[in-house]
Amino acid sequence: MGIHNQVLFVLVAIGAVAVALSGFVGFAPNRLVSGNPIPLWKAAGALPAASIALLGTLILAASLAKPSKPVLYSAAVSAALLLLVALTAAGQAARTLSLSATPASRISLAPAFWILVACAALAVGDALQRLEARIATTAVAVIAITSGAALLAALGTFDALSIAREYESRHQEFSDALVRHMTLVGASVGGAVAIGFPLGVATAKRPRLEGPVFAILNTLQTIPSIALFGLLIVPLSALAAAMPWLGAFGIAGVGMAPAIIALVLYALLPAVRNTVAGLRSVDSSAIDAGRGMGMSSSQILWQVELPLSSPVLLAGLRIVTVQAIGLAVVAALIGAGGLGTFVFEGLGQYAVDLVLLGALPAILLALAADFVLQILTAMLRRRAAP
Amino acid sequence: MLATGSAAAASDGKIVVASKIDTEGALLGNMILALLEARGLAVENKIQLGPTNIVRAAILAGQVDIYPEYTGNGALFFHMESDPAWKNWAQGYALVERLCRERNRLVWLTPAPANNTWVIAVRKDLAERHGLKSMDDFARYLAEGGRIKLAASAEFVESPAALPAFEATYGFRLSDEQLLTLSGGNTAATLRAAAEQMSGVNAAMAYGTDGALAALGLVALVDDKGAQIVYAPAPVVREPVLQQHPEIRSTLDPVFATLTLETLQKLNAEIAVEGREGQTVAVSYLKSKHFLP
Repeated sequence: MGIHNQVLFVLVAIGAVAVALSGFVGFAPNRLVSGNPIPLWKAAGALPAASIALLGTLILAASLAKPSKPVLYSAAVSAALLLLVALTAAGQAARTLSLSATPASRISLAPAFWILVACAALAVGDALQRLEARIATTAVAVIAITSGAALLAALGTFDALSIAREYESRHQEFSDALVRHMTLVGASVGGAVAIGFPLGVATAKRPRLEGPVFAILNTLQTIPSIALFGLLIVPLSALAAAMPWLGAFGIAGVGMAPAIIALVLYALLPAVRNTVAGLRSVDSSAIDAGRGMGMSSSQILWQVELPLSSPVLLAGLRIVTVQAIGLAVVAALIGAGGLGTFVFEGLGQYAVDLVLLGALPAILLALAADFVLQILTAMLRRRAAP
Repeated sequence: MLATGSAAAASDGKIVVASKIDTEGALLGNMILALLEARGLAVENKIQLGPTNIVRAAILAGQVDIYPEYTGNGALFFHMESDPAWKNWAQGYALVERLCRERNRLVWLTPAPANNTWVIAVRKDLAERHGLKSMDDFARYLAEGGRIKLAASAEFVESPAALPAFEATYGFRLSDEQLLTLSGGNTAATLRAAAEQMSGVNAAMAYGTDGALAALGLVALVDDKGAQIVYAPAPVVREPVLQQHPEIRSTLDPVFATLTLETLQKLNAEIAVEGREGQTVAVSYLKSKHFLP
C-alpha cells in the first residue's frame, strides 16, 4: 500500500507531531507571561482528544487510499469536522482550567492548536482542489465551516479563552474599531480606484508616461508609513486652518485624513500596475476589429478593452483591498483608530492576546475580501468565456 | 505654516485631549479627559493618538490641545541631551517649561512626583540572593564576578544618556557577552526575556513606572546617584487654550500631585497585567481619591 496523496499525508503527520510534542493550550498566571503548555489529552479530556485522533486517522486513511471522489469528499468532511472539534476542544479546555484559576490568569491557544487548525484548513483546501470543486462548492464549504465556528462562538464555547477575555474588556471599542477599519479600507480603495484607474489608462495609452509614473509610485511605496504620517501633519493642519469648512469633512492633520491619504498613496502602485497590465493583456486583434467597426477610442476602451481585461482589473482590486486591510493597521499610529489600536497597545504591553484581538480580525477580513473578490472574478471569467 | 496651525482654534472650540499610544498614555490621557469633562469643559477624545513624534507634531500644529508628556523628552525635542539639568526633577521641569513656553507657546503644568526613566530591573530571586536594591549593589555584584545578562534595546546600550551613563556613574562596564541587544526592542520584550530567562537573561532595561515589573517577578534597581534623565509626566497644554480656560491648571495640578511612582506602577499594572481598560482604571482611581463624584 503506497501513499497516494502526499500532501494530505504530510499534513496528518505534521498535525500528529504537533499534538504529540507541544501544548494545545497554555496556562499563564497573568496576561504578560507565556503560558505553561498543556497537551491536548490533558487539557481537553478524553472525548475531544479521541475524536481528533479518530478524524486524523480517517484523513490518514484517505491519504493512503486510491484517490476517488468519495475518498476526497470524506477527507474534506473529516478535516472540516476536525477543525471544528479542535475549536470546541480549546474552548472546553479553557473552561475547565479556568474553574480553578485566579481572575488574572489566562488560558491561551498554544502551538498544537494553531498547527492542527492550519493543517485541517489546508487539508480541506487540498481535497477541494483535487475534486476540482467549482467556486460554488468551495463557497458552501467555507460558509459551513465559518457558520459552525460562529455557532460555537455564539454558544459561548470560547468565553474562557484569553483572546475572548481581551474582547470582553474591549468589546465596546472593538466594534468601533472594526467599523473604523472597514471605513479606512473602503475610503482608501475607493480613492485608489478613482485615481489609479484613470492614471493606469493614461499610462497604458501613452508609453512615455510609464517611466515617470512608476518611478514616482515605486518611490512612494518605499516611504515608511510612520514617516509619511509625520510629513502629512503640517500641510494638512495648515490647510484645515486656512479653510475651516474643510474641517466639516474631517480634514485635519491627525485622524482619518492623513491615514486615508497614506493608504491611497500606497495602493496606487498595484492599482495602476494592474490597470496597465490588464489593458495590455487585451488581444490587439480585438481592438483592430473594434476600430474596423468604426468605434471611437473611448468606445473601444469601455466596450472592448475593459470587459476583456476585467478579470485582470478585478485581480488588481483584490490585491489593493487585501493590502489596504493589512496596511490600515498602521493608521492607529496617527489617531485614525481601527484594529491597529489593539495591535500597538498589545505590542507595547507585550500582551500577545491583545495583539491577536487586532490582528486576527484583520486577517479574517482580508481572507473574506479575497474570497468574495475571487468569486466575482470567477463569475466574470465565466461570463467572458464563450 | 506652523504659526497658522497653532493660532487656529481647535475643532469647534472643544478641547482636544490626546495621549501617546502606550499604557501610561492611556491612563493619564483618560484622567485628563475625565477631569476636564467633569469640570464642564467640552472635550474631544484623541487618546492613544500615536507615538511621541506624532503627538508632538500634532500639538505643535494645533491639532491637539493637551496631552501628557515627560519632562526629560525636552532633551530630545530641543536637542540638548548633554544638559545636566535634565537629571534633576525640578531643574528639568523648569528648563522644559521655559523652552516650550518661549518657543512653542506650550505650557507645562506641574508634573507628577514620579520618574518614568530608564532603570535596570533584575530577577527577584537574584535580587534576594545577593541583596541587590540599588545600582551601587549592582556594580558591587558585578565587581565580585556575579553573573549578569542584561536584555536591552540597541538605543539603551548605545545612547550616551542610557547605559553608558549608568556605567560611568556607578563604575562598571558590561561586556558584549553580558548584553543581549534587541535592536528596536521595547521594554515589554526585555522584561519578558528576563522573566522567562530567555538565553540566560536575568536583568532587563525597564521604565520606572512600568506596571509589569512586579507581575513578572522583577525588581527595579534604585538609581540614587541620579545617572539618568528624569522623566516626570505632566500635562502639556497650548497657551491660548489655557488662557481661555485657566481652570485647567487648578483642575489637573492637585491630581498629578498624587501620582507617585508607586501609584503609577499600581495603576499601570491594572491595565497591563489585569487587562483592564485605561478609562476604567483612570476613572476608578479619580473616584477613590474624590476628584470625581
